Amino acid sequence: MSDQQHLDHEALTELRDVMEDEFNILINTFLQDADERLRQLSEAARAEDADSFRKVAHSFKGSCINIGAPILAECCFAAEQAGREDNLSQSGQQVAAIEEELATVSEQLRRYVRE
Amino acid sequence: MSITTEQSDDGSTLTIHIQGRFDFSSHQAFRHSYEGADSSITRYVIDMSETTYLDSSALGMLLLLRDYAGGEKSDVRIVNCNGDVRRILTISNFEQLFQIDD
Amino acid sequence: MTTDAAFGNGPLRILIAEDNHSDRMILHAILTRQGHEVVMATDGMEAVEAFHREAPQMVLLDAMMPRMDGLEAAREIKAAAGEQLVPIIFLTSLSDPESLASCLEVGGDDFLSKPYNRVILRAKINAFRRMRELHQSLQNERDRTHQRNEQMLHEQEMARRVFDNIAHRGCLGAENIRYEASPMSIFNGDVLFASPKPSGGVHLFVGDFTGHGLPAAIGAVPLAEIFYGMTAKGFAISDILREMNRKMQAILPTGVFCCAAMVDLNLKSGHAEVWNGGLPSGYLLRHDGSRDELRSRHLPLGILPADRFSAACERHAMEVGEHLLLCSDGVMESVNREGEMFGEDRILEVLAGGGTPSDVFERLRGAVRSFAEGVGSEDDITILDVAMAEESLLEAVEPEVLPDTGAGPLDWEMTYELRNETLARFNPVPLLLHICMDVPGLRLFSGELYTIITELFNNALEHGVLRLPSSLKDSPAGFSRYYSERERLLGEIRHGAVSIRLEHRPDPQRRGGRLLIRVEDSGDGFSGEALSQSLAHNGLSGRGLALVRQLCNNVRLCGKGNCIEAEFVWHAGRGESRSGVSEEGNSHE
Repeated sequence: MSDQQHLDHEALTELRDVMEDEFNILINTFLQDADERLRQLSEAARAEDADSFRKVAHSFKGSCINIGAPILAECCFAAEQAGREDNLSQSGQQVAAIEEELATVSEQLRRYVRE
Repeated sequence: MSITTEQSDDGSTLTIHIQGRFDFSSHQAFRHSYEGADSSITRYVIDMSETTYLDSSALGMLLLLRDYAGGEKSDVRIVNCNGDVRRILTISNFEQLFQIDD
Repeated sequence: MTTDAAFGNGPLRILIAEDNHSDRMILHAILTRQGHEVVMATDGMEAVEAFHREAPQMVLLDAMMPRMDGLEAAREIKAAAGEQLVPIIFLTSLSDPESLASCLEVGGDDFLSKPYNRVILRAKINAFRRMRELHQSLQNERDRTHQRNEQMLHEQEMARRVFDNIAHRGCLGAENIRYEASPMSIFNGDVLFASPKPSGGVHLFVGDFTGHGLPAAIGAVPLAEIFYGMTAKGFAISDILREMNRKMQAILPTGVFCCAAMVDLNLKSGHAEVWNGGLPSGYLLRHDGSRDELRSRHLPLGILPADRFSAACERHAMEVGEHLLLCSDGVMESVNREGEMFGEDRILEVLAGGGTPSDVFERLRGAVRSFAEGVGSEDDITILDVAMAEESLLEAVEPEVLPDTGAGPLDWEMTYELRNETLARFNPVPLLLHICMDVPGLRLFSGELYTIITELFNNALEHGVLRLPSSLKDSPAGFSRYYSERERLLGEIRHGAVSIRLEHRPDPQRRGGRLLIRVEDSGDGFSGEALSQSLAHNGLSGRGLALVRQLCNNVRLCGKGNCIEAEFVWHAGRGESRSGVSEEGNSHE
């Protein structure tokens, strides 16, 4: 695991500013979507559908960047690259890594929202 | 087309060089070339050595300069005309109004 | 500040197409808080539908979306937008250059990368809003220009009709005349006139004003009026040129003038008088294949003040079937695809190309046309070709007759006397003819009257006042000496007078009348024998009075032989006056 922060607090502050009282809804939406993305990624890996794997990872990565979850975005990027190279040999580990990081992010985000 | 001017050392002669086509598009530039010049100017020399073409509106501009320079009493010379330019000046009989040196 | 208010702050309707729910929420929040109206779509297909439905002014488009991706959606949106500028900003975390390039290829205008930043987004939207507005104002300007151009063409068409109303009555349709001129050539500054003279023969005019458009056309109207008006009244070519120059100099600003050539084609005597001021050389094409150059000898019309203007013409004898060719400088200046000009050399090539004089016009026209094919010629071309013809040719072409109001003078008399130096300077015939033309119905005989008055006046001036012996004209050499003597004596004239008396009486039924023309000079007078000899003469001399005798019902000598009286009896409707000598008229003799 890198030294990097799981959450980019500066980005979150900015988002809170932008979203005002919709901030909590945004975070909840992100987390719900993230679970759905994770499910889609596992599905694509099991079906060995590299293209679908790439697209879902790409889209997921985008929302991670916006929400301020840089490590999770990097995990998605690795999966996206694998899908682009049509190499799903590591997809199991990649999905696992995303799942683990998402758990951390999710926990920290919930705490952040409560603060 | 471009127009450049130079004034003689004693300030009395304004030489106007006309490069390229001398036609209606030169109207403003040609007028500015002499209207903005010193009041000490008594003689105007139009240097056509780099003039490739002359149309009838250019002839009109020469007449405007002649008027500006004093009409009948003006001293306007046209120099270094190439064959085509010379032909147009000759057809129009502008020798009667200007001193033309080839 | 005002532009910022107008351009920077008004709300826009913006379409967001993004498949990520949370990303969509962020964009929506940023844009609505900046005051914009937001339309949302979750994939490409929805985006295209929303574009048609909501007509947004700007589109934020995710490149990678389900169903229809952003690239395809962008292509369809750009196509649907047509001339409207609808900026498309791609929302992307794409990083490889190829993907970015394909976004631009389908019409994308910019990118916005994640994480979304409200400051950058505001700047981009404002930049595109300015671009949109600039585009809109350019389009409005273009539409306005188009509209103005339409209007200008319409106005030109109207102006051309006005001009045609003045200039249409020429005899350009005569059998011996051919010409090439664009119908809108007047707006290139080119004019072409032809009119039959009352004395027989034709006046022709080719002019080329400086410049283009309305300024070039404006001088054409008075020019046409002078040409047709003075020609119809019998003025000589030099009088007409002087008047044209005077008028052009008076009304045109310095720097605007008219390069022109005018021809007086005399069918009776078989010669052409030519004046060329500023037009390229014309040519006289001879039967034997040779040609005379008709060079520009004068400054164009409208430059010189009246006292320095010269209307001196060159006189060229022409045989029937020989041609005279004039053209505006548009011929020489026609440009081909390579940008070369047609030039004088190519004209000379055509002239030297063999064939008869009557072929040259078609060959020149063909050569210029094929030379300049596929090129919008810079200056329209005007070519005029006229052949020397038998006198009878023009009889079919009547000068236009103004409708008679019937209100003119019928019963009148007048005497007009020219004295001393005025005799050398002034030709009274047009004025006198003008007076006669006011008699309703008499206009139809202007040709005959012109000849009668001219011959009687010249006879009085040359033989009576200048005392030129007409026998001089018996040989061709003497003929030209006669005219040089005439010039010389006219220059020296100090004393003398010619008096012309005109008297008109209507016939009782008012269907015609009798015009008495009496011309008296200050000379010593003819002997009766000389007159009868003169009247019978068929040689080079004395043709004038013989002609008068033919045209009039009665011609007699009176006084001490320094006065001739001619009687012209006419009937309404043409062709009756010449039918024989009136018995009544003879009884006075």
